[in-house]
Amino acid sequence: MIRNYFVIALRNIRRYKGHAGINILGLAVALAACTIIFLVLQHEFSYDQYHKHANRTYQLVRKDVYPDGDNFDIGMPFPTIRALRNDFPKIKFAEIFTSYGSQVTVMQNAETISNKKFIEGPGIIFAEPELFDMLDVKWLAGNATALNSPGLAAISRSQANKYFGDWKAAMGRYLKLDNNILIQVAAVMEDVPVNSDFPFQIVPSYKTFLANKDVFSYTASLDNWGGSSSNHQVYALLPEGSDAEGFNSRMPAFLEKYYPDKKNQPGKLYFFLNPLKNIHFDTRFGHNGDHVSSKTSLMTLALIGLLIILMACINFVNLSTALAVKRSKEVGIRKVMGGKKSQLRLQVYLETFVIVCFAALLGLGLAWFGLPYLKYIADIQQPLQLLNSGSITFILAVILATTVISGFYPALVMSRFQPVEAIKNKINTTAVGGISLRRVLVVLQFAFSQLLIVATIIAVSQMNFIRDADLGMDKEAVLLVNGNADSSFLSRQPNFEARLRQVAGIRQLSFALDAPSSDNSWTTNMAFDNDATDKDFHASIKMGDDHYAETFGLQLLAGSFYPPRDSTPEFVINETMARKLGYNNPKDIVGKTIRLGGGKWLPVVGVVKDFKNKSLRDEIRPTVITNNPKFQTTACIKISAANLGKTNRDIEAIWESVYPEYAYSSTWLDESIQNFYRQEERLSRLYKVYAGLAIFISCLGLYGLVSFMAVQKTKEVGIRKVLGASISSILYLFSREFTILVVVAFVIAAPVAWFLMNNWLSNFVFKISIGAGVFVLSIAASLLIAWITVGYKAIRAALANPVKSLRSE
Amino acid sequence: MITLEHISKWVTTAGLRTFLLKDINLTIKEGEFVSIMGPSGSGKSTLLNVIGMLDDADEGKYDFMGNQVHSMKEKQRSQLYKQYIGFVFQAYHLIDELTVYENIETPLLYQDTKSTERKAMVGDMLDRFQMVGKKDLFPTQLSGGQQQLVGIARALISSPKLILADEPTGNLNSRQGEEIMELFKKLNEEDGVTIIQVTHSEKNAAYGNRIIHLLDGRIEHPR
Repeated sequence: MIRNYFVIALRNIRRYKGHAGINILGLAVALAACTIIFLVLQHEFSYDQYHKHANRTYQLVRKDVYPDGDNFDIGMPFPTIRALRNDFPKIKFAEIFTSYGSQVTVMQNAETISNKKFIEGPGIIFAEPELFDMLDVKWLAGNATALNSPGLAAISRSQANKYFGDWKAAMGRYLKLDNNILIQVAAVMEDVPVNSDFPFQIVPSYKTFLANKDVFSYTASLDNWGGSSSNHQVYALLPEGSDAEGFNSRMPAFLEKYYPDKKNQPGKLYFFLNPLKNIHFDTRFGHNGDHVSSKTSLMTLALIGLLIILMACINFVNLSTALAVKRSKEVGIRKVMGGKKSQLRLQVYLETFVIVCFAALLGLGLAWFGLPYLKYIADIQQPLQLLNSGSITFILAVILATTVISGFYPALVMSRFQPVEAIKNKINTTAVGGISLRRVLVVLQFAFSQLLIVATIIAVSQMNFIRDADLGMDKEAVLLVNGNADSSFLSRQPNFEARLRQVAGIRQLSFALDAPSSDNSWTTNMAFDNDATDKDFHASIKMGDDHYAETFGLQLLAGSFYPPRDSTPEFVINETMARKLGYNNPKDIVGKTIRLGGGKWLPVVGVVKDFKNKSLRDEIRPTVITNNPKFQTTACIKISAANLGKTNRDIEAIWESVYPEYAYSSTWLDESIQNFYRQEERLSRLYKVYAGLAIFISCLGLYGLVSFMAVQKTKEVGIRKVLGASISSILYLFSREFTILVVVAFVIAAPVAWFLMNNWLSNFVFKISIGAGVFVLSIAASLLIAWITVGYKAIRAALANPVKSLRSE
Repeated sequence: MITLEHISKWVTTAGLRTFLLKDINLTIKEGEFVSIMGPSGSGKSTLLNVIGMLDDADEGKYDFMGNQVHSMKEKQRSQLYKQYIGFVFQAYHLIDELTVYENIETPLLYQDTKSTERKAMVGDMLDRFQMVGKKDLFPTQLSGGQQQLVGIARALISSPKLILADEPTGNLNSRQGEEIMELFKKLNEEDGVTIIQVTHSEKNAAYGNRIIHLLDGRIEHPR
């Protein structure tokens, strides 16, 4: 009997090709979208879950409570771990120091460098061997004990292949980090899986860092509890059976005991453990991997997937119940032949199942085509495997769930047909639940599409706003050439500068810590006007030479920019700083003094107009600009548009001749600013894609509904035409209904969209306001799309010969 | 076999009852060949549907082979007619998506007959109606007479005790009609199948051994 049902299902698909096609296409698109979303979620939720001790591993983090908000950080003061080991002997701790980017030079032997040099991003992590009691890696050669000695390092397989041709040849070879730190390869590890936030590439022992701390400008004593940097992190492995709460509750006493100078801290300090399994989802903290994913945004994604598949199911229900009218005779006969309700329901479910299976196959194909494009809309750069045990289970589950959801209503309706009426073709559209259920379903679909349309328009306009926003500085055609902070590098800087100044295409040149708008944030406590107590806010620090203002087009409001560096440095501050210090007229603050951290009192010589320190998500911070050549290693070069390529090549050539042993790396300022908004850009692209899909699927649904109506209204249209109705009046008959549905959907969607997008925009300090235009555009687009979809069927119904439609009655 | 007592059926429009069947009393014995006649709208088909349990009466008692049909649930009734009754329709009512073979097989599927047994039974039936060569054709590829033969074959496949035929020759030309009526007669006489047919034609009615006249939902008793 089952075989018989399958045969009929296939024949029905062939017979009602149009309906089956719409059903299969809509479901396939939805299944493809869902499968891709599933793969993304599967990937994101698998981050660092695979470690054997993941449940007991934690990262120690800190929270500084300031009057103007909380500050979260993963950076720990250097003495922390010694104190922890002393006070918590049962807990295993490991500290790491991560260089967020270093130059790696391959050595021919311990003394001689080769010309193979690389700039590596995150992944160079100085670590104690205990770290690998917490995180699982597979050792190909050697093991973590190598990390007990200074000068030794573990290296990943692919880095080893890159540096030495073959990882098997890597053991015992030498590398030099940042032209200063000599390390010897003493272990090789398998590449870390992509679903880890610990992208180990080179792992020198932590003792190597301690021996070379000057290279990273940590000249201060490592016994200092006052400072911390996110480079330096502490991890903990709790013994079995103990929990983080117990540890956290002992932290206040711990801090009391070890923090001698806490009175000077403007904020209140907390330490607590953050579970390893949570790190990937915790947006409060910085991280070592390439991205964090907030659970909210992952859940939003899951919800979008769910809604997309529900929309496709709604289409299925709409089309199948419409088709049920046509198939009522068959159902009636089957009942007369003794078919039980349950048997008829089973048949509907099986037919649905066949269609869903076709859709799943097509959907997998679409997903396979779509997967390589995933990197443009999600933060996943590595290719994902379409078929794995998880995704296959998911697809099977979705097939079953979709079959049940889509088949339920048609099965119910069809099995309820009265056989006598069914046989006599007396079943009409009202007998299958009328049109009201379908109206509700279509309204839901359109509400969802319009929600996405509004979200897309707002996200895109916010991104455009950001792109064109006035940053208070000039970001165009500024090339940032990254340098190093070691003395050998800095000593050659005057030569480098002199040669750059001879290049014709260079309009401005400044050596600086970084650009005015940058991801870096260096803040410090400060005091003003010889007042002994610190202010209750931190100053953001920018460093640059005397050409800084002109290179970035900063506008002076009062005083002057500082002259070339002589013995005593001076400060230039921004408007916000002046205002925060109580000076609404910038002129009046010139000449007053500021003390940064524990430094000297130095005069304010000028005030510049506010520029955006960081992304537009952040407030403009009170800022001090000063000249401190020790940190000003980035050459900021403003280039004239003509001969851009040649100028670029000239700069690189000069670098190669001045710094032959340093690798050249440069970025365009506008691109690095654009990078602040990578997440948002992806989100807005994601919205675009899924809004498109939602619109497509709801159009299929609408098309289904209008064909349903065309069947239902055949007689009405026939009579009206016989009575002399024009084609346009019949088109109106059809479109009126859908216009109302779209408007109702809009009334539901608009407030929801407004609420959600306002919420999203609140992430930005600088943002567009949501105007009526967005909503007008959304409903106009929806109406247009609806009319186009309805048009074809309506015109066909209107043009049909009335004699035919009436005769069949 | 069949006893109807005071069977009435009506529809209510705007508070007014219109009777489709009114106070029908009827007994049909096993082995009879009964023809129901009457003008359009006299309630012939309704009566047939009530006897076939496809429709409920609003009032009265219906005894089918000792079963009180009027007090049965739909499921039990379906079980009953599945076992004993075969239907033949004026418009054949074959399933267009199924082949001749599959159409004939359908009732057996719903009776959970085993597949080997099914094959044998359908094969026999195709032989008997000389349609072996047409078994893979679809209904639309057959003439009306052939379609009705398939319809009858389908009705007979589960060896029913009673065949209900609603104007079985109504859509056929006279030669085809005669063939069908001959077939019914043979079934009745040789296999002892009870047959109740609705017909407009005196000639067809004459094939049976008893005629019931309906008018406005009542049985007209010969005076």
